[in-house]
Amino acid sequence: NTTVICGIKAELANPTVEAPGKGYIVPNVDLPPLCSSRFRPGPPGEQAQAASQFIADVIESSEVIQAEDLCIERGKLCWVLYCDLMCLDYDGNVLDACVIALLAALKNTQLPEVTVNTETCTPVVNLEKRHGLNIHKHPVGASFCVFDDSILLVDPTAEEESLLTSQLTVVTDEAARLCAVHKPGGTSLSGEKLQECISRATVRQKEIQKLIDKVIHSVKTSQ
Amino acid sequence: MTSLISDEQILLFSGSMMEVCGSSKVTLREFGCEQSLLSRPDGSASFIQGETSVLAAAYGPAEVKVSKEIYDRATLEVLIQPKVGLPSVRERSREQYVRETCEASLLLSLHPRSSLTLILQVLHDDGSLLSCFLNAACMALMDAGLPMSCLFCGVTCAIDTDGQIITDPTAAQEKESRALMTFAIDSKERRVMMSSTKGSFSVPELQQCIAVSQKASEKIFQFYRDSVRRRYSKNL
Amino acid sequence: MKDTPLSNCERDFLLKAIEEKKRLDGRQTYDYRKMKIKFGTDYGCCFVDLGKTRVMAQVSCELVAPKENRPNEGLMFCNIELSPMASPAFELGRPSELSVKLNRQLERCLRNSKCIDTESLCVVSGEKVWQIRVDVHMLNHDGNLMDAISIAAITALCHFRRPDVAVQGDDVTVFSPEERDPIPLSIYHMPISVSFAFFLQGTYLLVDPCEPEERVMDGLLMIAMNKHREICSIQSSGGIMLLKDQVNHHDRKIASVKVSEITELITKALENDKAARKAGGRCGFAESVPQERITALKKEETSVEMTDVTDRASEIVEKAEVPSQTVPSPVVPVPGVGQVGQGLQDTWGLEEEEEEEEDEEGGEEQEEKEITMEVEQHEKDSRGGYFEFSPSIR
Repeated sequence: NTTVICGIKAELANPTVEAPGKGYIVPNVDLPPLCSSRFRPGPPGEQAQAASQFIADVIESSEVIQAEDLCIERGKLCWVLYCDLMCLDYDGNVLDACVIALLAALKNTQLPEVTVNTETCTPVVNLEKRHGLNIHKHPVGASFCVFDDSILLVDPTAEEESLLTSQLTVVTDEAARLCAVHKPGGTSLSGEKLQECISRATVRQKEIQKLIDKVIHSVKTSQ
Repeated sequence: MTSLISDEQILLFSGSMMEVCGSSKVTLREFGCEQSLLSRPDGSASFIQGETSVLAAAYGPAEVKVSKEIYDRATLEVLIQPKVGLPSVRERSREQYVRETCEASLLLSLHPRSSLTLILQVLHDDGSLLSCFLNAACMALMDAGLPMSCLFCGVTCAIDTDGQIITDPTAAQEKESRALMTFAIDSKERRVMMSSTKGSFSVPELQQCIAVSQKASEKIFQFYRDSVRRRYSKNL
Repeated sequence: MKDTPLSNCERDFLLKAIEEKKRLDGRQTYDYRKMKIKFGTDYGCCFVDLGKTRVMAQVSCELVAPKENRPNEGLMFCNIELSPMASPAFELGRPSELSVKLNRQLERCLRNSKCIDTESLCVVSGEKVWQIRVDVHMLNHDGNLMDAISIAAITALCHFRRPDVAVQGDDVTVFSPEERDPIPLSIYHMPISVSFAFFLQGTYLLVDPCEPEERVMDGLLMIAMNKHREICSIQSSGGIMLLKDQVNHHDRKIASVKVSEITELITKALENDKAARKAGGRCGFAESVPQERITALKKEETSVEMTDVTDRASEIVEKAEVPSQTVPSPVVPVPGVGQVGQGLQDTWGLEEEEEEEEDEEGGEEQEEKEITMEVEQHEKDSRGGYFEFSPSIR
């Protein structure tokens, strides 16, 4: 029953001095008290912060979008994509849901064309012309939970998460390359077990990519 | 058709593996450690890997705040202090890595309704910081005399653009690398307790890095053993 | 966490010892504890040991816009971090009374005494100036934090080098240390704080109180002074009355002696470090670990054996099952919603039509000016089944 909603907001900004040719993506995962009674109102808790960092790492490692693509004019203007991920219902395995929601949202984002007026140095936004983002990779996560290092479960629910001894998230893209193997502590796993998880994850990736493609297609046809 | 693709993939894998084989950069930088160097904490240690150094201090078991009390085991808190500025989201996620690794190795159920605090202070960052955090944390917990089911150590591996594995990379090597992985290895069966990765890499590369880390961990555990032996050599 | 309280017994003992002009660690009344200054690998990183008290200071800089009323001056900012590492009584997060007090004293000591030439930190007037940030971390608290902080901060400032900049029209280029040698800050004088603890309503006075002494003291007087015997700040806390004479003559004399001693030590330490850096030798924290202690151990660079690593890795990869190539086809009940996998019945399924509407709303928004796009990706509770592995596959 886990539900995650992802909104993408694009803004124009000045690129940083260190990376003049790059735009940036700012992901933020919000786990509001609405989604589960375990979260309290106030500043984001540790789990939400760790999830935000994880999503940021996935975006960077998998190169879903190349930061260079978000540049409009070198050193002057670039896009900033704010990816706000909000959990509406928490029933375990938010990380997978977040990655899928993010990917689907990115695939559906349309940016207007922006040109820089050379005389006044002001950006001109052409809302008529829109183009989708250039999605390079399709990373999809698969989470596993481990009970006493003998039992492995895929896609844990909230109840299972509260009982597990260790958690593992494997993110793969369509070329079966790994983007992240995230295991924050817990009981140990051998290389063989990890291999099992990775093969499951690659299958999962194909499944989800097919799903997203089909959904996006259906949205396009209906409009 | 499908089986044909998978055959090709396997061929590709073995090709890339040959390259990795000829690597000569698989060394650990010199490392050092000093235990009980602070007088106030219950246990403290500094761990140095090349230029990277981390200071760790452990308190506990002590009184716990009511809001954080867990009825059947001790509450472990990990705080990471960056050198400049205030802790950010990055530190938070590293705190999570270190905390969950420590939780798995500490026997927390021996001290129910109490609190353990582990504070990690960055002294200098020159690459492999997360693994240095883990090593310093383990030494500080040992120094505090907290009961643990096993020891753990951190190893960072980088894969550079040629596909070569570099263990214990410096900051410059980290920047140039294509992928970066940090593992925590336990001392009992040399299995992977924690893994954190950055960048994309293939399955055989991951398995190689794990195998290398397991080898490297033996050196670190030997070092743990030597330093503890040296430390207690006069007390007997 | 709470600090361990001091018992009445200990309190009486300490006070009695002070009356007899004796101190816990065998020092004389006006003695400082052993002081040690070490430098990190970075410029502007300094460790100060004062007995068992240990602090670390790190200076950093960044380009910021200056204050409007002072467009030609750089900024300086101090941050004292009372990390729980130093003492269990310190808590992270909200600033305590002590940290506010120390911070204010340090700012008075460094900023208000104008020991740094802030005008030299200006890059483009009114637009860009350097902000110097001093972070001081407490590592171990054994009394007299203020003196240790002030020594660490001023030494770190002397040690610090900022990157060189060039201004061409509107463009400001910051050079990396490889391109151009970084520049030291221009420092006019070195204010150093000296603390005096008063006992029994000011009858007895001790220099450099240690932690148990700080707990029984009645009042504290902190004098910040430079080696030219100029007082930069005086702060007295605790409820004691001091005679004007006492402050003027007695304390000032002691303070000036101590300050000149410490300044000499700092200069010597800075020179040593400079020589070590010039010689190309290794410097920094890693080198300062004492080798002779039994609590310390060092190991030279070691190589990791690579034999059978490749074999093991390939063995694992080959042994693992080849992932199935067939993928279940997703179901798309309505446009914009897809479903894959098996498992629990999804209770959200009833609201599919509503989601459709939301999706269309997203589409409308898109045509408006703002480029927000909301997609609701409905994550189905797709559990890929339940697996059980026997513990030994290998």
